Amino acid sequence: MKTNKMCAIMGNEHEYNDLLPLTENRPLSALYFDCKYRLMDFALSNVVNANIRRVYVILNEGKVKSLLDHLGGGREWGLDSVGSYQYLSFFGDIVQKKLNGKPYYCDVIDFLKKSMSDYTVFIGNKMLCNIDLKAVLRSHQAQNATLTTVFKRVPQTKIAKNDNVLTLDNENRVLNTAKFGNTALNNDLYNLNLNIFMAKTSWLIEALERGEENGAPASIEDFLLSQLGVVETYAYEYTGYLSNIYDIKSYYDANMDMLDPEKFASLLFSSQKIITRTKNEVATYFSEEAQVKSSHLATGCVINGSVQDSLISRMTLVDQGAKVDHALVMSNGVIKKGAVIRHAILDKDVTVDAGIKVIGTPNHPYIVAKGTHVTSDLIGGELK
Amino acid sequence: MLAMILAGGKGTRLGKLTQNIAKPAVPFGGRYRIIDFTLSNCVNSGIKNIGVITQYQPIVLNDHIGNGASWGLDWINSGVTILQPYSNNEGSKWFEGTAHAIYQNIDYIDRINPEYLLVLSGDHIYKMDYEDMLEQHKQNQADLTVAVIDVDPKEASRFGIMNTDENNRIIEFEEKPAHPKSNHASMGIYIFTWPRLRNVLVNSFKKDVEMNDFGKNVIPFYIQSGDNVFAYNYAGYWKDVGTIDSLWRANMEFLDRESQLDLHDQNWRIYSKNPIAPPQFITAKAQVKNAMIVDGCFVSGQVEHSILSANVQVKEGAKIFDSIIMPGATIGKDVIIKRAIIGENAIIGDGAVIDGTAEIAVVGNGEVMGVTLDED
Repeated sequence: MKTNKMCAIMGNEHEYNDLLPLTENRPLSALYFDCKYRLMDFALSNVVNANIRRVYVILNEGKVKSLLDHLGGGREWGLDSVGSYQYLSFFGDIVQKKLNGKPYYCDVIDFLKKSMSDYTVFIGNKMLCNIDLKAVLRSHQAQNATLTTVFKRVPQTKIAKNDNVLTLDNENRVLNTAKFGNTALNNDLYNLNLNIFMAKTSWLIEALERGEENGAPASIEDFLLSQLGVVETYAYEYTGYLSNIYDIKSYYDANMDMLDPEKFASLLFSSQKIITRTKNEVATYFSEEAQVKSSHLATGCVINGSVQDSLISRMTLVDQGAKVDHALVMSNGVIKKGAVIRHAILDKDVTVDAGIKVIGTPNHPYIVAKGTHVTSDLIGGELK
Repeated sequence: MLAMILAGGKGTRLGKLTQNIAKPAVPFGGRYRIIDFTLSNCVNSGIKNIGVITQYQPIVLNDHIGNGASWGLDWINSGVTILQPYSNNEGSKWFEGTAHAIYQNIDYIDRINPEYLLVLSGDHIYKMDYEDMLEQHKQNQADLTVAVIDVDPKEASRFGIMNTDENNRIIEFEEKPAHPKSNHASMGIYIFTWPRLRNVLVNSFKKDVEMNDFGKNVIPFYIQSGDNVFAYNYAGYWKDVGTIDSLWRANMEFLDRESQLDLHDQNWRIYSKNPIAPPQFITAKAQVKNAMIVDGCFVSGQVEHSILSANVQVKEGAKIFDSIIMPGATIGKDVIIKRAIIGENAIIGDGAVIDGTAEIAVVGNGEVMGVTLDED
């Protein structure tokens, strides 16, 4: 395949207040996942696994530090080599231009023209999946549709109010689309739109130019959603593992899902590798007293205590007698002697003093914000 | 200063473990290959250009080093160059010895035209600041500085021994002496003032004077010629892992945190090419104690006092004691492994028993042991 056959636009516009305080200082796409990934790794890996080398990334202003730190020059994803091209643009900037009555799609149109690609794929930031975009392209070509989108059949518990669900005909053509919050709840499964779209680049350029004249939404994702069913749209069914992340519970559950070997294999051991930023840490050390069951651990950790049904990120210390159970511990955690962490999410750089308890419930895991030094018990777990 | 790492050695005494890879490429500590220590020392010492001289089975080593990006050696005016023997109008250039290998790569060194040449071997585990050694070399206005470490006097006869005067000047060199006069052993780390070494090598090879080896020929020649040869005293952790026994022991000391090799030190990091692998999965049936485990491992069995490298699978009921499992190995159900080194990508079939109680057991790279059922 010629490497510039497809180019990609990565939208990072979705943010949810329900994810606070985890998203206080980082965008949703920079949230940690399964000890060593960030959510953006999945969209980005899907893109580069399809041999796409030209990438346009739309960011939200103000919270770019963790994202840029993670992405760096894009070396791990091969985005730093000859023939590749990344472009960063700010969503707020696009909105501002629109408000001021200036051309607001011009940067993305410019990117699309320069990409010399035949097809463009748009991929959003909150649907965690491992999808073969080359297969989507083959279906798109075979179906001869103007626009192709991707969906998965999921139960209502996996859908946020502002997600879009599709109504399809027997041949998976999109008849119409609606926000889930406005949909009557009468089915077992709904066709959840995964915020992935594919179209001919020439069509997209033309459509964006036309849209701009008619005041189309500043969000390219919203613009593409508005085209579903308006133009001939084929819906490609994704059957692999999916997590839709929009609140603490969905985020916590998605992480805990990885402790199920089948889901873990489906997302992280498929034929397509999920690439993340590499770090140089020493092997994780388990002492004589360590008791670890059903858990994932990244490298650089020292485990002297007990860890069960938990995900432990890099450079974390679980000291003697400490118990970590059904918890997500992000990097640089220090859990001192005899501390108990249950049904909790500890953000980066959290220290829990000896003998202290942090206890939430399965439906309301207790969240401890980044950098907190916990010196007294935290029991409860109501969402803030 | 330009560093040249001699990484062509076969490491014959590592037996099956170096059947298809060079000794510097042998995995260590679950996360590293032996050469990572030398490469990281170079980078941490501010050295920007490194030549790695390879000869024996270089493919894994070449792949590991790549363009040096894992060590931050891929920026402008910096780089790691893999130097393979090649042929030209004067015939082929197979390396006859350590100094000969440098001589054969004189074109490469001339292109960089360094003032000082640091010669290293790629098969030791240690952390050392070469910049400090260079400072001393400059202060002494030396032509050659040799790093030395004081070894157990009983063991001294296994090493090249440097006898020094009160100014730390080397006045005598003895290769593996029966009755050593001191215990200052050469670590095989040399800083040469390059124009002088170039001169010595070019003249000697032109006149057919034997100058193949640093220890046997070059150092004695320097001392006899009255060149300024100084010792640089090093006192930290340094380990030659040239035998199965020493490789096993060094890994175990590292695991027991008995060695002074602190790899948690963020100020002197050891870098490696990291595979892209998911986090390790310790399942409900696993029992892990006193172990070191890295990314990509899937552990359902019992692991005690052992090191698992990247992407190792330990299936249900398997028991691993006092062993080192190298990357990509699969340990089948109910396997028992004691005191062993299991090579890269080896497959141990269900129920096999590997007992190294008497002598460390070794399973070679890619070796298949025991019956493997055709099930997945």
